[in-house]
Amino acid sequence: MKNERSLMTQLFEPPAIGKMAPATKIVVYTVLLSWTAFVLFPIYWIIITSFKSAVDVNRGPFFVPWVDFTPSLHAWKELFVFDWKDTLQAYFNSIIIALSATLLCVGIGSMAAYALARVEYKPKFGSIVIFVLSMVGAFLGVGYLGMDWRLSLAVALAVFFFLVKALSKHFKASVGNGDILFWMISQRILPPIVVVVPIYMMFQSVHLLDTHIAIILTYTVINLPIAVWLMYDFFVSIPKDLEESAQLDGATRLMTFWEIVLPLSRPGLAATTLLVMILSWNEYLFALFLSTSRAQTMPILVAAMNAGERGILWWSMSVVIVVMIIPVILMALLLQSFISKGVLLGAVKG
Amino acid sequence: MNRASGLVIKDLNKSFGDVHVVKDLNLTVEPGEFLVLLGPSGCGKTTALRMIAGLEEIDSGSISLGEKDVTNMLPKYRDVAMVFQSYALYPHKNVAENIGFPLKVRGVEPEARDAAVRDAAQQVQMEDLLHRYPRQLSGGQRQRVALARAIVRSPSVFLMDEPLSNLDAQLRGYMRAELKHMQQEMGVTTIYVTHDQIEAMTLAHRVAIMNDGRLQQVGTPNQVYSDPINLFVAGFMGAPPMNFIEGGLNSGKFISGDIELSLVGDQEPGPVVLGFRPEDTALVAAGTGLFDATIYTVEHTGEQTLVTIQVARKQLAVKMPKDFEASTNSTVGVQFDPSAGYFFDQSDGARIRTCRLQAGT
Amino acid sequence: MAPSGDSETPIRPGGVSPAGSPSDRSIRVRVSEWLDYRHGTIFIMPAVVMILIFSIFPLAASLIIAFSRIRLRAGGYQVRFVGFKNFAKQIFGSEQFHFLGAFKGISVLGWVFATVLISLVLWWFFRWMRVRFNVLGFVGRLFLVAIAIGLILMIAATVLSGTRFGTLGTTLFYVFAGCSVQFVIGLGLAFLCSQPIRGKTFFRVVFFVPLMITPIGIGYAFRMMADTTKGPFSPVWQWAGLGDFAWAADAWTARIFIVIGDSWQWIPFIFVVLLAGLENVSRDQLEAAEVDGAGRWQIFREITWPQIAPVAATVMLIRVIEAFKIVDLPNIMTSGGPGIATESMSLHALFAWRSLDLGQSAAIAYLLLFVTVVMCVSFFNLVVLDRVRNT
Repeated sequence: MKNERSLMTQLFEPPAIGKMAPATKIVVYTVLLSWTAFVLFPIYWIIITSFKSAVDVNRGPFFVPWVDFTPSLHAWKELFVFDWKDTLQAYFNSIIIALSATLLCVGIGSMAAYALARVEYKPKFGSIVIFVLSMVGAFLGVGYLGMDWRLSLAVALAVFFFLVKALSKHFKASVGNGDILFWMISQRILPPIVVVVPIYMMFQSVHLLDTHIAIILTYTVINLPIAVWLMYDFFVSIPKDLEESAQLDGATRLMTFWEIVLPLSRPGLAATTLLVMILSWNEYLFALFLSTSRAQTMPILVAAMNAGERGILWWSMSVVIVVMIIPVILMALLLQSFISKGVLLGAVKG
Repeated sequence: MNRASGLVIKDLNKSFGDVHVVKDLNLTVEPGEFLVLLGPSGCGKTTALRMIAGLEEIDSGSISLGEKDVTNMLPKYRDVAMVFQSYALYPHKNVAENIGFPLKVRGVEPEARDAAVRDAAQQVQMEDLLHRYPRQLSGGQRQRVALARAIVRSPSVFLMDEPLSNLDAQLRGYMRAELKHMQQEMGVTTIYVTHDQIEAMTLAHRVAIMNDGRLQQVGTPNQVYSDPINLFVAGFMGAPPMNFIEGGLNSGKFISGDIELSLVGDQEPGPVVLGFRPEDTALVAAGTGLFDATIYTVEHTGEQTLVTIQVARKQLAVKMPKDFEASTNSTVGVQFDPSAGYFFDQSDGARIRTCRLQAGT
Repeated sequence: MAPSGDSETPIRPGGVSPAGSPSDRSIRVRVSEWLDYRHGTIFIMPAVVMILIFSIFPLAASLIIAFSRIRLRAGGYQVRFVGFKNFAKQIFGSEQFHFLGAFKGISVLGWVFATVLISLVLWWFFRWMRVRFNVLGFVGRLFLVAIAIGLILMIAATVLSGTRFGTLGTTLFYVFAGCSVQFVIGLGLAFLCSQPIRGKTFFRVVFFVPLMITPIGIGYAFRMMADTTKGPFSPVWQWAGLGDFAWAADAWTARIFIVIGDSWQWIPFIFVVLLAGLENVSRDQLEAAEVDGAGRWQIFREITWPQIAPVAATVMLIRVIEAFKIVDLPNIMTSGGPGIATESMSLHALFAWRSLDLGQSAAIAYLLLFVTVVMCVSFFNLVVLDRVRNT
């Protein structure tokens, strides 16, 4: 005997477990598809703008190629044929910088994260205070007494080592792994604008402005908190038995890390790599400050399309934006086979 | 509050993609009965249970609970309670909140809820741990909380999906007894899924054995044990399992290798399987039994002796009293009562009831 | 491990016995053993050193700059110590309108708003004192209360009193309004995507795309799209009679525009993390709740939400930290305009730098750092830790 289901029930109650009621389905799909449109529309607009002539862009909105307007390759030609040197240099710079910074960041970050997960650190609080004070002394020396920074630094370090050697017996309180981890991760709170001027001055004084290495080092550091955070959560969840067994077999820590721990961490590494790469590829502020001509990256090229007197070259800008997305998509496709959904969750369980 | 209902399952079918997991299941459960769905992994018993709960959609067939046809009903309307294999306790709620959850979602007042929770907790002896969280409980305690959560609603039917499989052996035995006692006290119709035949034998009023999606036999534990309907059931029940010797029926005799046994009754000539249980078998002097065998191993377990014998390169088990001794590779005779010999058709496994061994060979 | 080497070289466990002279071997082995012994230091030092050089050192240098006045002189810089002058200028002095806002007395609405909120804050503070007093918590919370009252008064006296607030208020708007909207939408999308729908992978992939585009690209794209004459929505604006409305000329529409761009960029992040969290809730528990009779909303509120709350708190903490730094979007989309209406504190510092007032720039940057740290530490202590303490 079948049950009579009222119209209301049929519309609003799920017909069976694991399914949605018709009314619910309509709402859900409407919302999701609307958001899809919201996400895809700007991207679509950028893509078609890259194929529009200047006149078409300025004359008012045209939506469909070949129907509203005639697509033209003039912007693409401008960037890849006439100005190919500049474009390719920016592309090349971005690739070198993003790849190097990612490798360096994930490498150093994983090592630090692994150490924090496995080794117990107990630096004395007092030693840290002495270190801070010595450095402050060094600054004041350089800033207000006009001392040469190399001399100042050498003196400060000497003072630090001496004082620590002499006084460390008296220090009881120490900070632990959790504190060190917090210190590293909290660096992310720093707004770039706070540190950008001193970093500029720093690179200027060693004549490293407008070089790849300056930007690579900077990107490495600003993304280090993320790498350490994500990899730490990952390493902590790997059972220790495997490493203990390797050590019994005689492997050094470095060998254990390289041969056993890292291969097991592929999903975490892949996710971290993708994230750091995206952040390095798309970064603008530091690249702006630290590069002038030779080391300019693609985001700078985008901004350069705002040519001042000639107005914004929307078409060329769109080309650069489109061209920037492609390597990111390729990287994501390449890495997504390694990333499982559990990685992200493990990383933010916090 | 006993509102025990019976359950009628008719022609139930379910496939996952190409795999036909439950095939034409027909089963009637009496009100207040403890029915065990028994079978090896992958036989469809858990799927059948989940269909009764409403957690899986039914491809064809019908399920009725008492007077109601629940085939297309959502779980929450079916008035069934389920104990999951993983217990499915809510980690962020304490024991009291876990147990009280079914009442809370039905809008029961807090005072009434508390009373019912305390009552259910008492029945599983967890009333002192109401403020603990699942992660602070042992496996057995968690299992009891899951049980209490099922009891608290006084449902018409209990469904249990291998609730004891995550417990260690000793605790399992203890909880088995508790479950049985509780079910008898409450008189609620219970459907219990397991792959462990000991649980089935000890807990069930009736056992329903499934294999490969099909119901093999339904009957009391005694029935499925002593009167198996086919080769699968005969071989599944019993530890160690029934011994099987393949051979042929021909002109009044069962012949297999050197073995020749006389039969009475109608026989159709053809390939058959002779089955006999280890505990029904005795080892006697060579030549004085139904047939001879060689000793493979002798294992003393303390309460009895498990002897493995070899017949024509096949190993069979025999249970002997604890003082039995024999040396490896010695020849002995195998003896059992004619009524303890079962015959099965080799082609379809069906039990042949028309003939049996002749007494006194 | 096959033995090798001559009979005089003993086989070392864990390593192939290297050939070569005894002194050779001992150096190589000794180095690797020393490295292994010191592995604790070696593994962590690169990260520590890099952070010290590129994060801590510049931070300290910035502080010194914030306390100084830097002038370019022939052949270099001249640095003059001026104490808190740069900071005072922002809070009390000539830049007050830029940073805090224009004060012209407090309107009635402002007083009502201030009274209600301040009483709530004080009530919360005293309730905590009665329940769980300890010295450290008291000092921290007292500090927090003082800042909260200051901010409430600032808002009451500026925006609610007919004038406008400065970059501090704008930044707080971006953070609180923006992140709230992003959280709600992100959670909603994640929840919908965790239902039994078709095309889950499609939605997942598509929703992730905005994270891959460079922020200044997003800024320019949205600027392009919001153009009332050339943008794709201009037919809509015309039809609605807003054809001449310069959204970029009104403070609040400009701010909302920035929030829209920011949300477009960051909701994917929240979505991806929360979706992973939702999918990690044990299926058994959800089924048990279904069998027990719970409705869909009850299941979400009772079972799902408590289990994803920690993930939600963490992802929002990350989002809030990033939100305070917002600079590219206001810079590109509106150049901080109209006037200073969309200028975030980061952008304010950037503009100060451009006008070569390095001391001001550093001071504003430090104020931003201060506000960020206060907010994040409070959030962390009051929300995240509280949850951990209670579970």
